[in-house]
Amino acid sequence: MIQLSYLDYSAVEGRSFLHRFSPGGKLIGMGLVLFGIVALRSLPALASLYAILLILFFASGVPVKIFPLTLYPLIFAILFIFISGFQIHFILLIFLKVLCGSTGVVLLLATTPYPFVFSILGRFLPSLFVVALFFTYRSIFILLNVMEETQHALYFRGGIQWRHPWRSLINISNAFGHLILKGIEASEKMYESMVLRGSRTRFIIEEKNHEDWGDDC
Amino acid sequence: MSHIHLPDGVLPIWLWAAGFIGAILVGIILIKLSKKEDFSRRLPLLGMMAAAMVLGASVEIVPIAYHVNLTVISGILLGPSLIFLATFVVNVILALFGHGGITVIGLNTLILSIEGILGYLLFRLLWRGLKKLAPAVFLATFFALFASTLSMIGVVSLGTSHYEELIHREEGRGLFEFKLMKEKEDHQTEHGAQGEVHLKRFIIILLSLGLVGWLLEGVITSLIVRYIHRLRPDLLSLGGETS
Repeated sequence: MIQLSYLDYSAVEGRSFLHRFSPGGKLIGMGLVLFGIVALRSLPALASLYAILLILFFASGVPVKIFPLTLYPLIFAILFIFISGFQIHFILLIFLKVLCGSTGVVLLLATTPYPFVFSILGRFLPSLFVVALFFTYRSIFILLNVMEETQHALYFRGGIQWRHPWRSLINISNAFGHLILKGIEASEKMYESMVLRGSRTRFIIEEKNHEDWGDDC
Repeated sequence: MSHIHLPDGVLPIWLWAAGFIGAILVGIILIKLSKKEDFSRRLPLLGMMAAAMVLGASVEIVPIAYHVNLTVISGILLGPSLIFLATFVVNVILALFGHGGITVIGLNTLILSIEGILGYLLFRLLWRGLKKLAPAVFLATFFALFASTLSMIGVVSLGTSHYEELIHREEGRGLFEFKLMKEKEDHQTEHGAQGEVHLKRFIIILLSLGLVGWLLEGVITSLIVRYIHRLRPDLLSLGGETS
């Protein structure tokens, strides 16, 4: 999950052709990838789609550190292959669909600052939902910082050791508890600032050029 | 475990479309039933809990492909209406990171919110009966996860005929034609014998892995709630009673 900060960094700081491409165009492109994933049933066609996405991924100068994020969903896809009785065609079909989907969305977020994605979603979704989405995305980065600090504290308390499962469970749970409490404290402060600024829980974003956005961030 | 880790294009269109319609309807009903001020006051908290759920989903216990959901603890802290919106947001963000398909967001929201809402209701019920925090949280988490995993199995089994179609389908019958094998018919007959949906095997594996996960998450959630109760008992709204 630490790759998330790289994802955000890449979206804001990247200067490739894909970064400069309009966010709306990229969302339409993602829609087409999604249509391909849903409609395609042929392995070579899905493999070609994956190859195109891979070429775009590496050509757009997205940090390679982010790439493992696209492979992560395979862990869960393995569970689903039991349904087919290990039919190779079905397994490859599932794996390619997983890889196309994850590579497509990671590429979208690695080349488009998230407020742009959310502002476009805001044209179709209720504002309450978009504000919640924005708060969550922002909170992820706040919690990632807390998580980093907590990791050090966890290390001093023995960390996670397979030889001491109970102690490890207590450490993990206390870490999550600490994370949640710190998060709640931050959310209370956030609400106070919202009230002070007269927030009406609306998400407004000015349309700016990508370069200007990078400076603001 | 109750999260459907399916890519797009595996479930039939009618199933995921119904999931979206169901999620939107439930969302509208829950939002109408709640107070508007309550929503705007608790939105930052919703964002934080949703973010904690996203981070929880990133801590992978690799041998059993399990990650903690933190849905029950979020349900306890947020209440039924907000946990629904939180699961919707979590599923959208997870789908944007490639964790679960975009088309299954509706279904995943319904399933995960069953976990959160049921966890909240069971916790309140068990707390009233047992007056002991850790057992109430553990049992609420365990049964909520069990119920949501069962609903996930139910959703997956609804698409059986579609999986059969995918398993039997050979190259050349898709949207684009790519003929790789000349002996297509021979292969189809061969696959016809093997190509059946092994739903029972899937259910057995899922439930046995799930059992480990539910126990683990039950213990972790109980310990988290114990930690929160020690430092901020007001957040649990237990009516001044202590365990």
